[in-house]
Amino acid sequence: MKPVDAYLILAILLFCIGAYGVLARRNVILVVMSLELMLNAVNIALAAFADFLAVGSPAGTYFVLFVITLAAAEVTVGLAIVVANYRNRRSVQTDDYSDLKG
Amino acid sequence: MTGGVWYWILFGMCAAWVIVTGIGVVALRNIVHSAVSMVLCFLGVAFVFVLLNAELLAVIQILLYVGAISVVVLFAIMLTEPQHGRLGLFFNSQSVFALPLVVAAAVVFTLVALSAKLPPTGSESFSPSVADLSQTLFNEYVFPFELVSLVLLAAMVGAILMARKEDDDR
Repeated sequence: MKPVDAYLILAILLFCIGAYGVLARRNVILVVMSLELMLNAVNIALAAFADFLAVGSPAGTYFVLFVITLAAAEVTVGLAIVVANYRNRRSVQTDDYSDLKG
Repeated sequence: MTGGVWYWILFGMCAAWVIVTGIGVVALRNIVHSAVSMVLCFLGVAFVFVLLNAELLAVIQILLYVGAISVVVLFAIMLTEPQHGRLGLFFNSQSVFALPLVVAAAVVFTLVALSAKLPPTGSESFSPSVADLSQTLFNEYVFPFELVSLVLLAAMVGAILMARKEDDDR
């Protein structure tokens, strides 16, 4: 087992925990938080590749930087949508957002 | 900063921290407890970045995730209504199937990662300084940098547009 594998397994476990939160929880805010966990797991994997498999290029660091920035944008817009939805129907439960179900 | 028993003891502590607090995010019932657990998880990820020779990433992780994003999440929790009651109100009907699915996904991912033909590891760890990183960021990578600032501007405008109250006289 190479050193990078330990970090990859950590990233996989964190990613799957986040995926379970997205699939199983009812609260939309918690779904957004679980998405953040998944993005953090990907960041760990990218930083591990940048450190252990680097070929003299800092590109892995920039990937993580851009992922962090886009995650900030995503959580801002996502939670604004949650708050706007809550104002309209007094609920943050995913089951209550079923208008497109037909 | 690789090799050595202490490095892997530190890594094991950080990994256990990240996993335990990550499980806390998805398993705790009170959403404020989940948010606190999320902040601790992000802090653990920052420690993992330090172990990976990415000090700049660790600082940015603490500034952005531990500082900013957690405040946004806590504000959203504050503006909405907390849930109380039995367990069925927190986990939806597909949570029974989600658990084995996620475990299977973890096993498959691990097998793929362990059997992957990765390029050979460098002899010494490559850890550029912050000055080197900024040199490259503002020369080679200046176009994605500017693009990301545009995305942030669009997200700010969109968030204000979404979250403000609609006035009735329009």
